[in-house]
Amino acid sequence: MTALSTATRTPFKSVMFGCGAVTALAICLTPLPLWAQDQPTEESAAPEGAPARAPVPLVPGEPTWDSFHGQLNAQKYSPLDQITADNVGELEKVWEVHTGDVADGSGDLPATVWSATPVFANDTLYIGTPFYRILALDPGSGEEKWSFDTQSSLEALTQPALKNRGVAYWEADDPVAGEPCQKIIYMGTMDAQLFAVDADSGEQCADFADNGVLNVNQWNDTNDHWPLSLLQPPTVVGEHLILGWAGMDWAYEQAPPGTVYSINARTGEREWTFQALSDQMREQSGTANVWTHMSADEELGLVYLPVSSPSPNYWGGNRTEEVPLGTSTTALDIETGEVVWSRQWVHHDIWDYDINAAPTLMDITVNGEEIPALIQSTKMGFLFVVNRKTGEDVWPIEERSVPGGDGSVEGEVYAPTQPFPTKPAPLLDQSEKPKVWALADAVSFGECSALWDDLHYEGMYTPPTTQGEGTLGYPISAGGVQWGGVAFDPESQTAIVNTSHIVQYIKLYNRDDYELADSGSGNESGFAPQEGAPYGMRLEVALNRLGMPCWEPPFGELVALDMTTGDVKWRRPVGASQQYGFFMPESWGSPTIGGPAVTAGDIIFIGASMDAKVRAYSLETGEELWSDQTEAPSVSNPAVYEYNGRQYVAFVSGGNTILKDQVGDQIAVYALPE
Amino acid sequence: MPSSLSSRPGALVLLTASLAGLAIALYAYLTPLTGITGTLGALVAIVACLALAVMALLLFKVTSRGAAITLRILILIGLAGTFFAGILLHQWWIGAAMVVGLVGLIVDMVRPAQHTRLTHS
Repeated sequence: MTALSTATRTPFKSVMFGCGAVTALAICLTPLPLWAQDQPTEESAAPEGAPARAPVPLVPGEPTWDSFHGQLNAQKYSPLDQITADNVGELEKVWEVHTGDVADGSGDLPATVWSATPVFANDTLYIGTPFYRILALDPGSGEEKWSFDTQSSLEALTQPALKNRGVAYWEADDPVAGEPCQKIIYMGTMDAQLFAVDADSGEQCADFADNGVLNVNQWNDTNDHWPLSLLQPPTVVGEHLILGWAGMDWAYEQAPPGTVYSINARTGEREWTFQALSDQMREQSGTANVWTHMSADEELGLVYLPVSSPSPNYWGGNRTEEVPLGTSTTALDIETGEVVWSRQWVHHDIWDYDINAAPTLMDITVNGEEIPALIQSTKMGFLFVVNRKTGEDVWPIEERSVPGGDGSVEGEVYAPTQPFPTKPAPLLDQSEKPKVWALADAVSFGECSALWDDLHYEGMYTPPTTQGEGTLGYPISAGGVQWGGVAFDPESQTAIVNTSHIVQYIKLYNRDDYELADSGSGNESGFAPQEGAPYGMRLEVALNRLGMPCWEPPFGELVALDMTTGDVKWRRPVGASQQYGFFMPESWGSPTIGGPAVTAGDIIFIGASMDAKVRAYSLETGEELWSDQTEAPSVSNPAVYEYNGRQYVAFVSGGNTILKDQVGDQIAVYALPE
Repeated sequence: MPSSLSSRPGALVLLTASLAGLAIALYAYLTPLTGITGTLGALVAIVACLALAVMALLLFKVTSRGAAITLRILILIGLAGTFFAGILLHQWWIGAAMVVGLVGLIVDMVRPAQHTRLTHS
């Protein structure tokens, strides 16, 4: 549902070691509710004299890394080719910076979770920190040019940790010489303040909102239990800042509705809003927000939203009506916010299957036909590929019957079918109950087998239950793919994605039982009340008493897909799981948080793994070519940029306590020897 | 070199290897970016190497045949466990040190200490 969902509640740290085309078209053509968005208002009018600007092409002609996913297309692709398979082994760390903004949670401050990808623009590397400071660094040396401290409260208001996913960059097409804020860096805070500072000086932009600060919480007027945390930078599309937010999961049945705002990049004025929930639903439910980055095709005039699930996460008796825009990829007109098309990937989502990554836009050739496509990775381990102009299937997406529950949960009305892609094949094999790992079972004297026997499972989309130990989910909140999303090499039309293979189980408790059972919730797993709903819940990773996963490895993989055919080119375990410092065999792989970057040198760069190593793989073969140790798991996508003719790769090693109790404040930048 | 040391070359090798392992484990525990900095696993390796060093010293002192056998078995288990830990910690030199320590133990077993023979002669 909100950012807390998978992203923050996923306890990896204990891990040791159809509808077919016709139906799809029908869905696409189904009139979408008018309540899907507010119409533009007078206040939303673009400032007079705003220049018409040329749209950024899908694949920019120059190497860019000026947004969270590198480019607005979310390809995480760099045309730089200095670093190749032949020389990547020579990579050396040319500079590193420790920001000092780090906490492990043992002191007065909550732990930090730092997933910021650096932004390279204006010949500067910009990054936000979990203490809500913006740093502007020399890209070649790491020397600080300026820093800006938002002075934000360092309280975990909506999240269990201090979180930051970085900054956004905008520059005027018609810069006025000598005027400040012709180039602006934006960063939000957990208490819902959006800051705009001059990219050259670090001074607040006086013309933006209230002297450079926009209080987004002023619009938080429904079920406002908490502020609208701005942990993800806004998506900058032309003159618009498209702004989603995160909240608190699992605490309440009712939550703030997940309004997405379009903000004028120069003035901070609100232009249009988008709502995935109807007026009625906004009162009785909430969220269906966008807590991660978005992507955009400026030539088509569309911005693509990964929309999360309505609240609460694991019981849907308060929202039995259809919520067609929940758990969806939704394309909006950039100028008006009107829905152009939407595809719902989970009907009546009661598994917290938020769509959690910006869809990757790509032009692919399928059966000789050039297709403007979009690939949406999901927590379910499914990759949905559609035409990004229309939302129509590229390969058939079939509606298949799914389990209807065991009748133990009151008020539920289960969706009879769910969408299943036929290609690419699921990243995880969810076709049958995962096998118990004999090693984990043996050393725990059958604990895993006993747990498996107590878990309800009828296949993918088995609903939560009140019975036994609950329902087995593979994957569930921990997800198959996280916000790192899919990278894409436009030359070879190869998509790259990293996965986690995590078995969890979910149980619902009626109110009386919940009060008796509730022994307090950890930050990332355990009990949560869903207050207001008839059921509290408990979500756990299926581990034995020694902390070993009860299911068979590998626990994470890197997968390359030929997007002309939808077939897997190669797949391999990625990283190594680590517990107490001991590295597990690499064939077991590691759960992953963070994503890849790919270059024209046919190299994939990725951190993401528990062992806090950053790696380079061959795009062609998947062979590991290089690695280096960093301070903490690098849970963001790397940034690839060129400065003074030299190619650099930047990793942010901040860690994430849901992967491992190891936090860091390191930016590590690599290049070939001069 | 004290005569007790020179008379037990195998134990001396074992002691040296254990101290080398200890130094490597300490370095890995204390130095940033070793991959196991400050981890429980590295701490276990430190303690294990320290215990091996102590047991190697005891080899110089033990005179009873039963005690010697018991000590050698404990040392063998310690070497094997520390070798395995070193490998899992990706501290290959700890593993190498344990192999050297094993050689020392074997030498000590097949070549009884001179002073022991003298004691019983």
